[in-house]
Amino acid sequence: MSMTKKVYISGLHSGQNPTAGAGIARCLRKAFPKIYLVGVDHWQGSSGLHDAILDETLLLPRWDQINKERYVAQLQEILDAGHIWIPALDVEVYWLAQNFGTHPNLLSPSGEALQGTAKPDVKGFANLGFGVAESISAFSPDEEAHAFLRQNSWQCWLKGPFHEAKRINSWDSFLRHRHDMEKDWKTSRLFLQKNNFGSEESICFAAVHGELVHAIHMEKRLITGEGKTWAGGVKPLDPALLSQLKKSLAQMGWSGGGEIEYIRDPDGKNWIIECNPRYPAWIYGAAMTGMNLPARMLSRALDMAFIEPKSPFPYFTRVVQEIPVREAIGLPRPPDPSLNKWPVGGGKGKGGPSHSSYLPPLRDSMEFRRDDVLTEEEESIKAVPPKTPSDSYSKEVETMTESFNGETPLRIPMEHWTQYRFQNLLDRLQATKASSPEIRIGFSIKTSPTDYHINLARQSGFYMECISQKEIHRAIGLGAKPSDVILNGPGKFWPLTTPPVTGLHSLFCDSVEEFNEVIEIPNISQCIGMRIKLPQLSSRFGIPFDDFEHFQRILAAIRKMKGRADLGFHFHMASWSIGVKRWKEAFRSILTWCQSVEELTGVKVRRLDLGGGFFPADLQELNFAWIQAAVRDALPNVQGLYFEPGRSLTQEGEILVSRVLSVRKPEDEVAPSEVVVDACIAELPLISNYPHRMFFKSSDSADRTLVLGKGKTKVLGRICMENDVLSDGINLPPDIKIGDYIIFGDAGAYERTMSYDFGRG
Amino acid sequence: MILAADKSLHAMLGTEEVSQRWVEHPTSSLLHHDKACCEEARLWFMSLARSMEGWSAAQFELKAPTWLSQEFEWGPSIWPMSWCELVKQKTIDCGVFAVLAREIFRAQGHEAHAGQCLLRYNETCCNHWKDLWKNGMPKVDGKKPGEVFNWVGHNVVYHEVVIVELPDQTAKVYDSTFNQWYEPEGRSGFAGLLAVRSEGPRLLRWGNKTLSCGEWVDL
Repeated sequence: MSMTKKVYISGLHSGQNPTAGAGIARCLRKAFPKIYLVGVDHWQGSSGLHDAILDETLLLPRWDQINKERYVAQLQEILDAGHIWIPALDVEVYWLAQNFGTHPNLLSPSGEALQGTAKPDVKGFANLGFGVAESISAFSPDEEAHAFLRQNSWQCWLKGPFHEAKRINSWDSFLRHRHDMEKDWKTSRLFLQKNNFGSEESICFAAVHGELVHAIHMEKRLITGEGKTWAGGVKPLDPALLSQLKKSLAQMGWSGGGEIEYIRDPDGKNWIIECNPRYPAWIYGAAMTGMNLPARMLSRALDMAFIEPKSPFPYFTRVVQEIPVREAIGLPRPPDPSLNKWPVGGGKGKGGPSHSSYLPPLRDSMEFRRDDVLTEEEESIKAVPPKTPSDSYSKEVETMTESFNGETPLRIPMEHWTQYRFQNLLDRLQATKASSPEIRIGFSIKTSPTDYHINLARQSGFYMECISQKEIHRAIGLGAKPSDVILNGPGKFWPLTTPPVTGLHSLFCDSVEEFNEVIEIPNISQCIGMRIKLPQLSSRFGIPFDDFEHFQRILAAIRKMKGRADLGFHFHMASWSIGVKRWKEAFRSILTWCQSVEELTGVKVRRLDLGGGFFPADLQELNFAWIQAAVRDALPNVQGLYFEPGRSLTQEGEILVSRVLSVRKPEDEVAPSEVVVDACIAELPLISNYPHRMFFKSSDSADRTLVLGKGKTKVLGRICMENDVLSDGINLPPDIKIGDYIIFGDAGAYERTMSYDFGRG
Repeated sequence: MILAADKSLHAMLGTEEVSQRWVEHPTSSLLHHDKACCEEARLWFMSLARSMEGWSAAQFELKAPTWLSQEFEWGPSIWPMSWCELVKQKTIDCGVFAVLAREIFRAQGHEAHAGQCLLRYNETCCNHWKDLWKNGMPKVDGKKPGEVFNWVGHNVVYHEVVIVELPDQTAKVYDSTFNQWYEPEGRSGFAGLLAVRSEGPRLLRWGNKTLSCGEWVDL
């Protein structure tokens, strides 16, 4: 290579989250000792700039201080002069594709090629045959996003189409990260994706103008806390994959490096994570194993001879190394200490300048990225206009509030909807009657102990699931018999000042001590059982089975009970909290424990109670036939299979009507930025735990009720608490005014029973 | 049959006084007293194993029992060991780890067989492990070190693993003590796998090697 030609390499920071520039430079120096390397960066603190391997450095202003036209002209001049430019920072690759375009000497993919890397599908590499984990748009209706997270047991990723991914483990974390990522990346193409477990692997490739130069496979051996490769094993790519990759790159006309990251699950199936449109930071590690991709790429691009020696042992690792700082560049001074932030989440560190601090301006400068130009459909996901009620739930809300003008906030029961939920469950039970074991329902009184709900449960033929003597007396007061009662909980004999009710249907104990005491009470219950606390599920309730000595005590207690009552087991972990798939696994595990107890004690399990905690939609979908079959196979002596719904029957069946107290609308804006209502978190204590349907009703037009969708207006509660935010973004009619109503659906069950008085004088 | 193909391995084993005992050593198994004591322990353990799989692993066919190393520490064990004694242990050796993992894989519906291997380590490590056993053994049963199986040599150690037979007659080799799947490639350095022996009754392909019942295969 002529010494007059230079290779510019940008993205040189080599920190905890390193970019690839320093590695690319080392690869090229290793292959071509006389090559002239220019290191480019936009931050004085970029550590790779100080690497003596560089012949020259080009330190540019921060991205937000760049004059785009001047910079593009400078790049054009460099490339036209025959010099090579290799960008190593993916956000910069996008910037170049959209602001500069292509050039034979710019070894970086085009905008069209980059579209093929968009997640979740990464369509450009679909022919590799990798699986794409299930996903949905993060801007799907909230109830759909919530259902997706429940179904996948709250182990999902929130990802942008090209950048960033956050682990999601709660509804609250989803809302927070969605808000932040949307703001940071200015895209509504965020999506939720199921997490796949497995080992992390990569395919790294180099191509020039659509022609594959070489590709390797890397298995990560050590990974940092930030998920970055620290050590790995490298080998040539499997020939079948190589052939497919070659076709993909040709179709996309790819130039430059790239890395396809994927998960190999324990069964050997590959699941794509993403394609980074540049070399990975570990690229020099691969070069040391005899697979120097940047050198092979440059050799192809400039038609230079390059023969690579093979390393006998194809593994690499990193070390931390101090190097002297170039005087010509220096280091950034630390900011004033008063700017230092107290790390959150137990993190160490004292703040100070960082590599990431200069990336937001680059992101902000990418105003014209293609993924920012939303289609109509995408716009409609972000801002859903209010609409007239069409489904039966909305119509009932409209009817219930038609002539409303009372005091607010006020909770109003939706009796039709509640009856529908009860009837729907009865209909589904009817369909299971032909199979064994028989499914029986215990209505969870604590969830909604109103006369209406208890009477409806009794009329439906449900048992009364109680957690105290007080609840038993409440049920008896409404006509239930002791033999209708299932008694649970750690405080089931409260208050001790009244003798316990005997002759119960079932009683499940929370400790071996309690079980031993209960079996001595004459005629306490037809069935006496234990609530199982499963290993690996964190709970303060139930009897732990994971200690062998304790297990022996359990067996001894059950042998002692033989002949006094039927034996039952109880399991209750709310499926909406641990997730549906995890609940199913826990159920299978319960069956194994029950089988072992039966076999070791000779006492047959007669009743199995699977508790409650189902989200309304999940109970609706629960496959009773599958559960019956599993119980029938594992425990053929079980006569009754119990569920204890409460939330799933009553959560939807109440609304909370509130009035607008204040409307805050910035000048020149159509929609208000915030409204204050007279409801608050005291009436809706679980408002941030799950999505609530919301409605608008005009105070002066009885026939104007609207179903509200996503939007930009925050709904604030009436009390002086920082977390009294009832919605982060709703689309309200622009003419909303003080005195209009905002109605919250899904406000029954624990929203009511756990509500409290606050700020009422 | 045994370790003859690789001359360097043969030479290396020649320096190990107990190498003949390693290659002839039977794989470990747990005793069952045919009484409630052992059956309670066995069923408790198998139920626990089902619970410990967790939902994340449950979606896969092959669920490696990685939780074993959280439940037990690695160290000397008393032999022979029965199920009822196992459940009192906090520390178990690689033989017990392998037996338990084998039982778990079988309960999951896989064909799992006993496996043995020889691994290369440096002398310093080996000396520390000798001390670990020497100091740990009296704690577990008061026996002197000379009375237990001498698994540590100068540069080579004996180790027990699980051979999982897949439906396509290929094998996977799982180190249940340290939660790793072995690769069918030899290596000369630290922790290099030198040889493997399977007790699977069928011929199994493992990379470019063939595992045959009872035969030591040089890597």
